[in-house]
Amino acid sequence: MPNYEPVLLRNVGVENARSIDVYRSRGGYRSAEKALKQMSPDDVIDEVKKANLRGRGGAGFPAGVKWTFLPKDRKRTLLCVNADESEPPTFCNRVLMEEDPHQLIEGTIIAGYTTRAQIAYIYLRVEFHEQFHILQKAVDEAYAAGLLGKNILGSDYSLEIYLHRGAGAYVCGEETGLIESIEGKRGWPRIKPPFPAIEGLFRQPTVVNNVETLANLPHIIERGADWFLSIGPPGSSGPKLFCISGPVNRPGCYEGPMTITCEELIMSDEYGQGMRGSVPVKAVFPGGTSMGVLKGDELGMKMDFDDPRNYGLLGLGTAAAVVVNAETDIRLVLRNLARFYALESCGQCTQCREGTSWMYRIAQRIENGAGRVEDLDLLEEVAGRMGMMPGLSICGLPDGATFPVRGVVQKFRAELEERIRNQDPGKVEAVLAVLN
Amino acid sequence: MAKITIDNKQFECRDGISVLQAALDAGKNIPHYCYHPGLSVVASCRLCLMEMQMPHPKTQEMGWAPKLFPSCQTPVKEGMIVRFDSDAVRDNQKSCMEYFLIDHPLDCPVCDQAGECHLQDYSYEFGSSESRMVEQKHVTPKKDIGPKTLLYSDRCVMCTRCVRFTQEVSGTHELCVTNRGSRNEIDVFPGLPLDNPMQGNVVDLCPVGCLLDKDFLFKQRVWFLKSADSICPGCSTGCAIRVDQNEETVYRLKPRYNPDVNDWWMCDEGRFGSKYIHDPKRIASPHLRRGLERESANWEDLPEVVRYRFEQHVSLRGGDKVAVVLSPMMACEEAWLLIKFIRGVAPEATIATGFIPTDGEVQHFPAGCDAASAKFTIRPEKCPNRRGVEMIAEQAGGTTCDFDTFVTSAAGGAFSAAWIVGGYPSDWVSKEFGKAAAKFDLLVVQDMFENALTKLASVLLPACAWVERDGSFVNHAGKIQPFERAIRAPDGANRDGQYLFEIAGFEGVYSAERVRATMAMETAAFGEVLEAPLKPAHQH
Repeated sequence: MPNYEPVLLRNVGVENARSIDVYRSRGGYRSAEKALKQMSPDDVIDEVKKANLRGRGGAGFPAGVKWTFLPKDRKRTLLCVNADESEPPTFCNRVLMEEDPHQLIEGTIIAGYTTRAQIAYIYLRVEFHEQFHILQKAVDEAYAAGLLGKNILGSDYSLEIYLHRGAGAYVCGEETGLIESIEGKRGWPRIKPPFPAIEGLFRQPTVVNNVETLANLPHIIERGADWFLSIGPPGSSGPKLFCISGPVNRPGCYEGPMTITCEELIMSDEYGQGMRGSVPVKAVFPGGTSMGVLKGDELGMKMDFDDPRNYGLLGLGTAAAVVVNAETDIRLVLRNLARFYALESCGQCTQCREGTSWMYRIAQRIENGAGRVEDLDLLEEVAGRMGMMPGLSICGLPDGATFPVRGVVQKFRAELEERIRNQDPGKVEAVLAVLN
Repeated sequence: MAKITIDNKQFECRDGISVLQAALDAGKNIPHYCYHPGLSVVASCRLCLMEMQMPHPKTQEMGWAPKLFPSCQTPVKEGMIVRFDSDAVRDNQKSCMEYFLIDHPLDCPVCDQAGECHLQDYSYEFGSSESRMVEQKHVTPKKDIGPKTLLYSDRCVMCTRCVRFTQEVSGTHELCVTNRGSRNEIDVFPGLPLDNPMQGNVVDLCPVGCLLDKDFLFKQRVWFLKSADSICPGCSTGCAIRVDQNEETVYRLKPRYNPDVNDWWMCDEGRFGSKYIHDPKRIASPHLRRGLERESANWEDLPEVVRYRFEQHVSLRGGDKVAVVLSPMMACEEAWLLIKFIRGVAPEATIATGFIPTDGEVQHFPAGCDAASAKFTIRPEKCPNRRGVEMIAEQAGGTTCDFDTFVTSAAGGAFSAAWIVGGYPSDWVSKEFGKAAAKFDLLVVQDMFENALTKLASVLLPACAWVERDGSFVNHAGKIQPFERAIRAPDGANRDGQYLFEIAGFEGVYSAERVRATMAMETAAFGEVLEAPLKPAHQH
């Protein structure tokens, strides 16, 4: 995409871009001023709805529509900014907060104004130590400049921003887990209904938005919905951050329209610049691991909100692709995936708590050369018996475990069977004897 | 009343309840762990999932939705159609049961819960006999979490009922979940044991053998236990309880569901406070004093002897010198029989209410709440039937008084003959009262343990513990609640009701129910007693 002009990352590389002065000198906070002074909250909602800004957190739910779920007669609204970016290979939010913290604050002000929130919590994963300090400094600067606190920019709108740091749980990225965590409780997702828009944080109507979603707001306000719609394909409009990691020549976080394919993301000079050592691609997890896996011959998938479903994926997710090259043993991939979900399952729902840990134990045994072909069926069965889509769990975490594990077993079954056939039969017997 | 269809059959159910509760009310056996009607809904065990008909998003045609729904979390709605008898539901139940046993030690032979374990029952009914899990089990530790409770976390199914109980009912917040995922464990906070006046309920709530009662541990296999429906005599709340015994030994007390009194709960004081039942020091046979000697009497002659002595006394000294003290530990029927007898021989006799043991302050739970929002209350009046004996005395008419007045008048020499009923688990006779009692020429004492009074008695009758009797208690709120006999009186003793029945001039075998029917002719209130629901709203 040679003539793509970066929007979200436009300040990356600019000297001292984190400071409020530099941010303002490059047009920052003009959108917030425009929203607060020239637009009503409903105008902003209309504009965002028109732009069809879909949530960047993973599910792709239209942000403007989400805001309209708030009860009309509410007395208070709370805004939570989800910066608990814990999806494996994902670091878009991190880049946004590190490089351009004021863009997030401006987006938060606009979202807060639109939802009439007086308080916004930015929930950061605990590992964001450096990002926390960067963001805190930016918040302090914004307060000093009258952009936060009482009567922002002379309007009658007031907003307080608090940074809240998590305690290291993946599940706290789920919106109700995040809410429980802010309340100081164990990060166990809540049963729904009631949905957060009706009864969320501290039992008040609450909106939870992703960092990247909010970072888009100043640009929509500044340039209008039509500009936003002109980027990317219909249904997946606007700029998007993509992460690429694994054995590629240039791993990193890039911005582009959602017209690119997975292959472009890996191979194009703008992005990954091809595989290291030109080793062919064996597998790609294109949307964070939770969305599922693509085989090396499925790289034509478009990185938009809709196309991944055609490849048996859960969705676009965080658009963070991790590449596995042809030299990697797929058993390692399987074990590593299963391990993550076993460690991160919160342990509330039976199927997820026990299923993820069982899958991990099976995957470990397969990796250690004591697998059985029937284990693959068992893995598929266990993976299929969890998640929110079949109604078996409270949150979507187990769906995120199902898609990659089942995906790997289904799409790489031939290789797995091959490797199991080539195991030392004596070892299999020995391992199973010890276990039993 | 909403009409809903469960498994092709229509049921009427109360409004505002969950589908699971409606199905349980309709007599269906729907497996569930985390759901308990007395606690908040968390919908996390995922065993009670059901299928539900919903309008198709495009055609609006009603059909089975392509996913399962937690029935505990879904409120009933008029016209709702659900089913539990489908393959999808059964598949889920089966896989859940397999999951629950993944890290379970399968140590039923040494587990106290065996026989009343819902992991056993559900595995048998909904699970499969084999596990496909060949991996090593993750073993979690056995923990001593408090003075009365053990936690075998390897048997836990993470229903979190116990945690929610300490948060929502006892309000003491001792229990929590630690760690994450399959490493989850229930635990207490460091240095803060599970020690609150209601903690025993967590053992009842535990659907499996994870939380164990130290008092009951390894004492009995539950299938040997026989139960009787009883009322706790520990305080004036009058909780409905179940007495579990085997071969005339009481092993444990468990709460029975009674929405009008105690819901599903009981306090530790009631649960563990009746060890005196099996105290070898109990008075177990009747004694008569002849001159200075006290000798044992036989039950056959006793009614006649007692009646004769009273009649003699009244003819010599007059009926107004006779007093009877009704203990609040007595059942209403016993008090009524005793009055029947006394008024028969001495119509002018004074009827006094007995000593009312009290201890501490009223305790409302969740801890720190007020009476209006209390889910459970422990009362300072440590006897079950003050209201009952007062009612009986009042209805008998004539001269009545309270215990303090009685002691003062007795000290002043107002009475020369008295029948004093005790039956308290601990020594209750004060110095002044002992002194006053020495003035009686004829003293019948009915008590459980030897004390200053029993030494003075001309006739000493053993009082039985409430588990050895049947009758009814009237609780603080005036609710008349019957209780059954659980075990026989100790060898040599006779239950109070039986000998009072005979002394009062009746023949045959005492039955509290029949006496109550007679009483009802005088006092309509006794015609209708409060029975806890036969079928509890919740089986476990």
